[in-house]
Amino acid sequence: MNVIFDIAVIGGGIMGCGAALRLSEGGMNTVVLEQGDIGQGASGVNAGTLSMQIKRVKLMPYAIKGHEMWEKMGDQVGFHRTGGYTLAFNDKEADLLHERMSMKKEAGANIEFVSPDKIISSEPHLSKKIVAASYCPDDGYANSSLTGQYYRNRLRELDVSYIEKFGVTDILEHEEGWKICSGARTVVAKRILLAAGGWCKKLAAMIGADLPIRARINTVTVTERAPQLLSSILGHATGLLTMKQKENGTILIGGGWQGKGTPEQGRGQIDIKNLIPNLQLAKFVIPALANIRVIRSWTGFEANVPDFYPLAGKLANRDNAFILGCVRGGYTIGPYISKLMGDFILGRETEMPLFDPSRDIIEGRLI
Amino acid sequence: MVSSLIGCNMYDVVVIGAGPAGANAAIDAHDHGLRVLLIDEGRDAGGQVWRPKSGSILKASVTSIERKGNQLREHLQKSEVKRKFETRVWHIEKSDNGGWIVGLSGPDDEKQVTSRTVIIATGAQERIIPVNGWTLPGVLGLAGSTALMKENLLPPHGRSIVAGTGPLVFYVASEIQRLGGNVTAISTLNSKLDWCKALPSMILKPRLLFQGLCWVLSLYLKRIPIFWRTGIITIEGENAVEGVTITKVDKDWAPKKDHQRYIPCESVCYGQGLLPEISASRLTGADHYYDEKLGGWVPTIDDLGRTSEKGIYACGDNAGILGVTVAPISGKRAAQAVIEDLKGENPGAGQSNLKMMQKFGRAMTVLNIPRSGLIKFIDDETEICRCEGITKRDIDHEIAHGAQSHNAVKSGTRCGMGPCGGRFCMDTVAMLTAHHTSKTREEIGLPTARPPLRPVILDTLSGDLDYDDLPIPGVSPL
Amino acid sequence: MNKGAVSQVQRSEKISFQFDGIDMDAYEGETIAAALFRAEVSHLRDAPNSKNPRGLFCVMGVCQECVVSVDGKIVEACRTNVSDGLIVNRVQYV
Repeated sequence: MNVIFDIAVIGGGIMGCGAALRLSEGGMNTVVLEQGDIGQGASGVNAGTLSMQIKRVKLMPYAIKGHEMWEKMGDQVGFHRTGGYTLAFNDKEADLLHERMSMKKEAGANIEFVSPDKIISSEPHLSKKIVAASYCPDDGYANSSLTGQYYRNRLRELDVSYIEKFGVTDILEHEEGWKICSGARTVVAKRILLAAGGWCKKLAAMIGADLPIRARINTVTVTERAPQLLSSILGHATGLLTMKQKENGTILIGGGWQGKGTPEQGRGQIDIKNLIPNLQLAKFVIPALANIRVIRSWTGFEANVPDFYPLAGKLANRDNAFILGCVRGGYTIGPYISKLMGDFILGRETEMPLFDPSRDIIEGRLI
Repeated sequence: MVSSLIGCNMYDVVVIGAGPAGANAAIDAHDHGLRVLLIDEGRDAGGQVWRPKSGSILKASVTSIERKGNQLREHLQKSEVKRKFETRVWHIEKSDNGGWIVGLSGPDDEKQVTSRTVIIATGAQERIIPVNGWTLPGVLGLAGSTALMKENLLPPHGRSIVAGTGPLVFYVASEIQRLGGNVTAISTLNSKLDWCKALPSMILKPRLLFQGLCWVLSLYLKRIPIFWRTGIITIEGENAVEGVTITKVDKDWAPKKDHQRYIPCESVCYGQGLLPEISASRLTGADHYYDEKLGGWVPTIDDLGRTSEKGIYACGDNAGILGVTVAPISGKRAAQAVIEDLKGENPGAGQSNLKMMQKFGRAMTVLNIPRSGLIKFIDDETEICRCEGITKRDIDHEIAHGAQSHNAVKSGTRCGMGPCGGRFCMDTVAMLTAHHTSKTREEIGLPTARPPLRPVILDTLSGDLDYDDLPIPGVSPL
Repeated sequence: MNKGAVSQVQRSEKISFQFDGIDMDAYEGETIAAALFRAEVSHLRDAPNSKNPRGLFCVMGVCQECVVSVDGKIVEACRTNVSDGLIVNRVQYV
């Protein structure tokens, strides 16, 4: 086994696999190294929301492109365009909603404001306490648990090498480029791309780069099959709730409530004191949820840097090391930005600009 | 070291499961001055083996097994252990002050308690190998049928086939007869030789051996046919059980398809031994390992039942299927560990004849270890995941397309994502994955442990929201 | 026929409940599952995908096969006591 790969992609989620597919198409001999199974990290456990209404203004063009790609993947990833509402329940939330959605609309998202009465006529199970709402007909969801299956199939079709259960323990400089170690197992590659979400900080440190990467740990809950309660996806003006009822009748509840743990400790756990208000809020919005059984709650890591923009470019100004991560709305944007990343590494012009990790990263303003 | 240092709402020990292991652990811990809470989903203590009769039965004869359960319940009554019955634990979480938060759903308003330690005594669940027709009404788990009989004194309807492995087939068949039911035939994968091999260990417990022989004898006397080295290959019926086809097996338990026989019946009691119920211990983050002689995956524990997580202890069948003879002692030993760790005292619970009993328990468990040929009982169209209707063909396809682990099979197929939480497909999925990939059970792993431990009605988890109290964090950046 | 151990059993008072609109007898203090089992109602619901009939299976509150609908809530028949006048229905899936 003396293969020297043109590039080793560390991280087998949407970002890593998407880039690997592009790199392989571009002629690079590529290997994906994944600590667990393909697509089982954040890419496979997030709530699957594909909503324009929760995307950052500056990332909107990327999100629109990403959304188109999800639509093309279609049934293989459980894509559904359902339309989505974002709800406000008091005046303060309504103001927030108007301010934010107006800006997103300006950035190209197909968002309109709708009256509470109109919502109730199409979503009769929602709380009657809605004060204001916005709607985007493009919103929808995909089934994130199919991420692994989808990307594994694509890698196999294109004959891209991938190694699962390859938890990287060290990255060493090597005459050919890099030697990537997982215990006693090693892989040699001319270039590396770090695309391991919340684990990127640790990996970057292995080659001496200190990146201000932090990880949020988001909670998702699913109910058992329920009668039809919802046909669109739902969001909340504060971002504290997402909900969708899938084709099989199960209802997914998210909203970024925090669990416990860090990427370094492995998978995170739910935090009962945050799970409960998450479910209470869900029940507030759809009162009939009260009688439905919850069958599973879990968490996934969402990495970010203080300015909440992606890291997508050269790592530590080297020509043979790259990073792609910390993309807010990464599930929606992932397929697209990973393609751009592939183009960048292949030396091609990218269709849209990337986000240089060596920029000055300043603490972003939270409003 | 002293309880009073801890907030007054905090228990010293929460014991999950009031079977022979958990109830004994609770009594001992309580007797040593610890603040104990014993929780069980049943209406009284006893667990599955010593399951109490339903409240609808005012008077009935008492079996020796039941007598033991009654003794345990009386003992518990006399002690002042605080108990919560008809209460389920849906979550266990490390609290910030080093103790544990236990999430409850039950008839009272207390939705969570905190404790310095947790003894997990959740027992076992059945291992049932899927065959065509196993989802039909009229098919009961082997242990499931004992639950129905112990609790309600109701034998299965009509003509029953009792099939599977280990001693339970004989116990179930003799109970069905005792309660006025009708056993048409017994089919066991075990051979008489398997039993002869177990005999040296069984002699260590002559009373239990005698009891077992009585079961078998009673069946012989009633001329109930026992088909050794056979298994059910199909359960027939349109909307309910109408009959079964049994087949001879070779030494690996692979069916010999030219040795089949159809037996009409209305009920099937069917199971291949027990699996440790480890979902609670896994939720705590404690280490687990695979040992088929202990029934499968078990928590890594020391001599007394300490897991790798500080403050979490395991005893009884969930720490390894060793049966009801070992469970009470293992419960007492877990209590001993807690007393040592919290009070620095050594209460010195006796070893008694633990080793001997473990040997007996292990011999019984060995009779149930699935052999490689069992996979051939599962047809391509057989539903493996009963909740989601996922067939063997679906799972084989996923593995053939690169799924190498339990999590990968689960997320690709939905196998194990239904309300039972994968409890009745998990072992089969791992068997199939091992078969196709030559990986070990450890490499295949288990699906990630996730709460709630059982489905729970959302309203019982969460009270009502006071909307104005909703904490609004920094809203996401624009 | 051998009625052995069951002949001396004394059960509690009879009560009645409804299953899918049909009146049924039960003994006070037993589970819905036990009452339905005695009434030889073995088909408790249809599986959501295949629509195949399902009945009581693990009898321990694990398998979720015996779930029924009571007051709009899904409950395990094997873990829920029956009460006089209780309205129980088969679960319908979307």
